[in-house]
Amino acid sequence: MKKLLYLVLGTILLISCKKDLAPISISGCTDNVAINYNSNAVTEDGSCIYFSSTPFVIEIPYGFPDMQIPSDNPMTVEGIALGKKLFHDKILSGDGMQACASCHLQSAGFSDTNQFSTGIDGLIGDRNASVIINAGWNTSNFWDGRSSTLEDQAFEPITNPLEMNNTWTNVELALNSHGDYPFLFKQAFNINYIDSNHVVKAIAQFERTLISTNSKLDRYLNNEEQLTISELNGYAIFNTEKGDCFHCHSTNMFMDNLFHNNGLDNEPFTDLGRAKVTSNASDNGKFKTPTLRNIEVSAPYMHDGRFATLEEVVEHYDSGGKYSTTVDPLMKKLGVGLQLSNQEKMDLVSYLKTLTDNEFIGSD
Amino acid sequence: MKKILLLISAIAFLFTSCDKDKAKATGITINFTHTVSGAELMTNSMTYINEAGENYDVQTLKYLISDITLHTENGSSLLLDEVHFIDITDESTFSFTYNDVSNNDYTSISFDMGLDTAKNNSNEYVNEDFHTTMYWPEPNGGGYHYMKFEGAYNNDSTFYNTHTGGTMGGDYSFNHVENISLTVDNDLGNVSANINMELNNWYNSPKIEFSSYGMGIMMNMMMQMDIQMNGATDVFSVTIDK
Repeated sequence: MKKLLYLVLGTILLISCKKDLAPISISGCTDNVAINYNSNAVTEDGSCIYFSSTPFVIEIPYGFPDMQIPSDNPMTVEGIALGKKLFHDKILSGDGMQACASCHLQSAGFSDTNQFSTGIDGLIGDRNASVIINAGWNTSNFWDGRSSTLEDQAFEPITNPLEMNNTWTNVELALNSHGDYPFLFKQAFNINYIDSNHVVKAIAQFERTLISTNSKLDRYLNNEEQLTISELNGYAIFNTEKGDCFHCHSTNMFMDNLFHNNGLDNEPFTDLGRAKVTSNASDNGKFKTPTLRNIEVSAPYMHDGRFATLEEVVEHYDSGGKYSTTVDPLMKKLGVGLQLSNQEKMDLVSYLKTLTDNEFIGSD
Repeated sequence: MKKILLLISAIAFLFTSCDKDKAKATGITINFTHTVSGAELMTNSMTYINEAGENYDVQTLKYLISDITLHTENGSSLLLDEVHFIDITDESTFSFTYNDVSNNDYTSISFDMGLDTAKNNSNEYVNEDFHTTMYWPEPNGGGYHYMKFEGAYNNDSTFYNTHTGGTMGGDYSFNHVENISLTVDNDLGNVSANINMELNNWYNSPKIEFSSYGMGIMMNMMMQMDIQMNGATDVFSVTIDK
């Protein structure tokens, strides 16, 4: 009889045990190669999503060369979306208070309206934030061209003490323990651990999509819109040696990917520019030609943001510029200048404003 | 054993034959050289003097040579390169090699300075290195600069810009033909042709003064014609090294 009691009790215990196990039987994706693999899941529920990023093809605008995209960072819809989220996320900065977009404002052609940007510690930089417009065609980045790719470029501001002043260890820690990012990186790159290389890859993918070719000038060249008399006069000044702007701001890209000394200063230079990278004295005072697309909204101007308005910029070229040993021979009227009339200067500024692409700067 | 030796010999012979076949191909390297009054060009050196008596230096020299072609007596030709861009700051542009010159007796080499009308269209070479550097705006005729030759004259802070191209859509490119004697056969090995640009001759007979350039010569047809004439007369010369 006692035996029977033990048997009953034992059976009850076993049943209880089974009952205890039942509530922790999680259902989910149980396939460990799926991007949403759940290691706690016991029951497969058919929810597995497998890595298959969606290729994104850049449409090359008329008059632009093919875009050179690094072979180890092909464009994908998922990578671009991730890059856009990272670009706007303050998680990348040391104190969680600043994003890339804080100093690269879309409304200003992805540049800063301040002469110099202020970092998280209140320190200010010494060059005006570069625009990010058609940057996928840059053969070098920064005013001195020290980064050859957008991936390399993106490495810098995040750890620069004058800017976002973070460490990559912190960035990786924050992203890997985040609620969304591990899945988004898995989706974009099929990786289980987020590292700095993939952060800059995603940002670079997003930046390559920042293409601006829908300005009034583009529509004029497509016979869709007419320019005013003043804008047309400016167009002629710009594109002939009368204004001689087109030699550096060339092609539909309005830049030549080269470095020039445009006669801003006499020597000695406070900023050696390109020579800081090449250590070659013949590069002293040379800076990368910026695109003029959306130039109306990307004030202030020049590498050091010294000019607040386009009128001041035109005045500089009209004055002819200052002599230095590396001044570009294209500045052929040093000290004499272009000698434009007031009307011609206004026409040139009117023309420059036809390069604004309202859709691109987000005001449409 | 004999069979094995025979087999090894046969394989060795096959490999040797392949090597001999490779050696048959003749390559021709085209070198671009630059002189001023006969001496090798030195940039940024205010030591040159043009026919008008102006001292000058050379800071920028970029130009396009097109349709570089070898010709035979019977009229057949071999195109070595459609367009070659030379930039004095980039040594890698000073030469190119055409690897497989077919056996023949070549009697002349020809090329165009700049681009002829058929080629000189806006965005024609949008993916070439020179697309942005040599761009020539539409309102001026479109296409590309043939040449950008710049520097200072008389003093360090006065500049000349000798920019040639299809001014107002006109064709100021010109053809240069030079007779050569080049017999390519199986045993020739590699040869080179040196195309020299004598820079000072751009400005001689008729003489051209930098001080008369004004705001530039890109829209100055008379100046483009004078430079074209000077160029076609005696700027280029070709020598062959076998």
